[in-house]
Amino acid sequence: MIMNILAGVDIGDLLGLALRASIGVQAATFALAAVGLNLHYGYTGLLNFGVVAFMAAGAYGMAIFFTQGWLGGSLLLAIAAGLVFAIAIALSIGLPSLRLRADYLAITTIAIAEVLRISFRSQRLLDLTGGPFGLPSIEDRNAEVSFSEIVTIDWNPISDGSYGFWRLKFDEQTLWVMILGWSLVLLATLLIWGLMRSPWGRVIKAIREDEDAARALGKNVFSYKLQSLIIGGMIVALAGITRSMNTGFVETQQFKPQTTFFIWTVLILGGAASVWGPVVGAVTFWFIIVFVEELLRQMVESGWIPSVILESNDVASVRMIMMGIMLAVLMIWRPQGLVGKKEEAQIDVR
Amino acid sequence: MTKTVKGMLIFALVAFCASLTFPFVASALDNEAVFRGTVRVGRQVIPDVTVSIVDAAGTEVGSVVSGDDGKWAIPIPYVGEFTVQLMGPLPDGISIKEGASSEVVVVLEEVRTTSVGFQLQSEEQKTILEIPPTWERLLNRMVSGLKVGLLVALASIGLSLIFGVTGLVNFAHSEMVAFGAVIALVLESSMGLTGGLFPIAVFLAVVIGGFLGLFLEKGIFGPLRRKKMTNISLMVVSIGLAFLMRYLMLIYHGAEPETYESYKIQSGVSLGPIELPPKDYYIITIAFVTLVIVGILLQRTRLGTSMRAVSDNPALAESSGIDVNRTIMWVWIFGSALAGLGGIMIGLTQVVEWQMGEKILLLIFAAVTLGGLGTAYGAMVGGIAIGLASETSTFWLDNDLKFLIALAVLIVILLVRPQGILGVRERLG
Repeated sequence: MIMNILAGVDIGDLLGLALRASIGVQAATFALAAVGLNLHYGYTGLLNFGVVAFMAAGAYGMAIFFTQGWLGGSLLLAIAAGLVFAIAIALSIGLPSLRLRADYLAITTIAIAEVLRISFRSQRLLDLTGGPFGLPSIEDRNAEVSFSEIVTIDWNPISDGSYGFWRLKFDEQTLWVMILGWSLVLLATLLIWGLMRSPWGRVIKAIREDEDAARALGKNVFSYKLQSLIIGGMIVALAGITRSMNTGFVETQQFKPQTTFFIWTVLILGGAASVWGPVVGAVTFWFIIVFVEELLRQMVESGWIPSVILESNDVASVRMIMMGIMLAVLMIWRPQGLVGKKEEAQIDVR
Repeated sequence: MTKTVKGMLIFALVAFCASLTFPFVASALDNEAVFRGTVRVGRQVIPDVTVSIVDAAGTEVGSVVSGDDGKWAIPIPYVGEFTVQLMGPLPDGISIKEGASSEVVVVLEEVRTTSVGFQLQSEEQKTILEIPPTWERLLNRMVSGLKVGLLVALASIGLSLIFGVTGLVNFAHSEMVAFGAVIALVLESSMGLTGGLFPIAVFLAVVIGGFLGLFLEKGIFGPLRRKKMTNISLMVVSIGLAFLMRYLMLIYHGAEPETYESYKIQSGVSLGPIELPPKDYYIITIAFVTLVIVGILLQRTRLGTSMRAVSDNPALAESSGIDVNRTIMWVWIFGSALAGLGGIMIGLTQVVEWQMGEKILLLIFAAVTLGGLGTAYGAMVGGIAIGLASETSTFWLDNDLKFLIALAVLIVILLVRPQGILGVRERLG
């Protein structure tokens, strides 16, 4: 029977797909977002449940400025506008709510993220945000007049062709976005590494450990928290922009609260408050998710799992279930994740 | 009791692991994507409908006729953007839902099977819109807001009480609401508890909801609390649990929104200028009576008093001889049962679906925070206020903005008075 099984499952295919996902653009964007969240939660202790608000701010800011042709239609300036929009969101979340207790902050941030998403979706902003259809319009997308074409075609220095080996072959466009995405992850990680070695980083960590003590030493806790929210938020916004370069459009469906918790799972899996945790987390997370999903798909389609337990239509939902279980189980048994330090990963209400 | 519950937990875990590590499988993976779906209205599947797919360039990729079970599948040769079209013919009385389209645009980013659904409605689901004179419409909006508010209040009490006695902000609470609604639907259809027998289904679902609360406390949160996990960590655990529950409901209940067979369509009954379907009068009455009973129980009974005492000051309650853990257990049972009842009522007025928890989560949070986290009466007041504010706002604003009103209320109250209307001021920041 074992032989039979091994002959049947295409292990190579499973590994190939899973590896492909773990180094893909999606993994890179989640790693980048997790780097930003790491500064918020891991280092500063801010319970930000509205990560996706920053992604949406970056992506929509960029897309609106680009499609409206403001700033002369320059994509670089549009990206800068997206980042500025993210700063505005950080200020509007932070100024009023950073004084709240951790659990209240969590509820406020998730609510603000939903407010932003529903507003973008509203019919009243149809001309600006494309409402439920997103940006750019379907016609523009079909005619390949989109921000992603500028990045993947106009800016692409790689000549046409297929690169890589085995199942890890990528065309020049995917490869270019992957290189861009992972370079941003590397830069952001180095930035965090540098910041955490600086006096600024030590104050931030002190605030996480004991806010009152930091205040007693004359540090302006509120201002430091706000700075952390802005810097982390801009990194998350870059992740949102990178993601929209990959998908080719922005749409409110991409910014539902579940994305926030995907990023949380990535961070906690890798290890909060560790420099490389987000990267390790994103790579591992996508490998596990795609591997299990494909394995289940093969098992369902060949009839090993009876349809009473799982139908092939349902396999996509397993991703969400795995995310839920990983989040809960990690929090209970390994809050420090794969590479984090246990003493740095315990955060309580204060 | 504890042993049984632990047994159940272990069984569930083993069952889940077994389903993951099921014997490895024999099948060659064809490297092909498939779009598939079922043409259906509620539980009714529609055979012999043509579905066709064109790619971004307008070339037809494939076309197929739905089978006897309404199912169709079309292989997709490459990634890109595709338009899936429902070509028809649709049977008499069934049409595309207003505002929806017979075309669905799907962007395929990687080679994988993707489900595509169309929004259909049958003749009987169509509602006839008639706009009565303005002040009557406003009054009707307010009554409708009162109804929504009472239901949100019912669903929120548990969240607030659980926070009160344990300090946990339970993100899975909204899934407990959805669970009650789904269980009642399953009981109704599988045991034939329709029409006059439907209250039995409601009763059973509420009891099962109570057991869910018992299970969550004895199986998950109780042990973790004794493990000295912080409330923040437990909150993250509850988020994981919420996703687990929500998507298990999707897999085992299905993606289609459904309504309770027993109270599908009812024509409105007028009471002065107010016109509501008869079920709404019952819902408002039942919700109101339940809230009053909960109030009396909290105020007058031993258990109610100890719940309020533990909520107020656990250490003091314990030292005055109250069994804190037993009280917490009963709070979970009652809170979860009430959430289930609220879910059934919400399902009666709207639809029952797997994502109803996600949809109501922030409304519940808004209600609880507005009233004051930790106080049962606060949840009642907050729920009614949120319901009234969001429903009445549709009189002036677009329908899709009513949710925003609730969230705006939530955010403003957190900034102005984070302890809520009935909460006691303590150090919050």
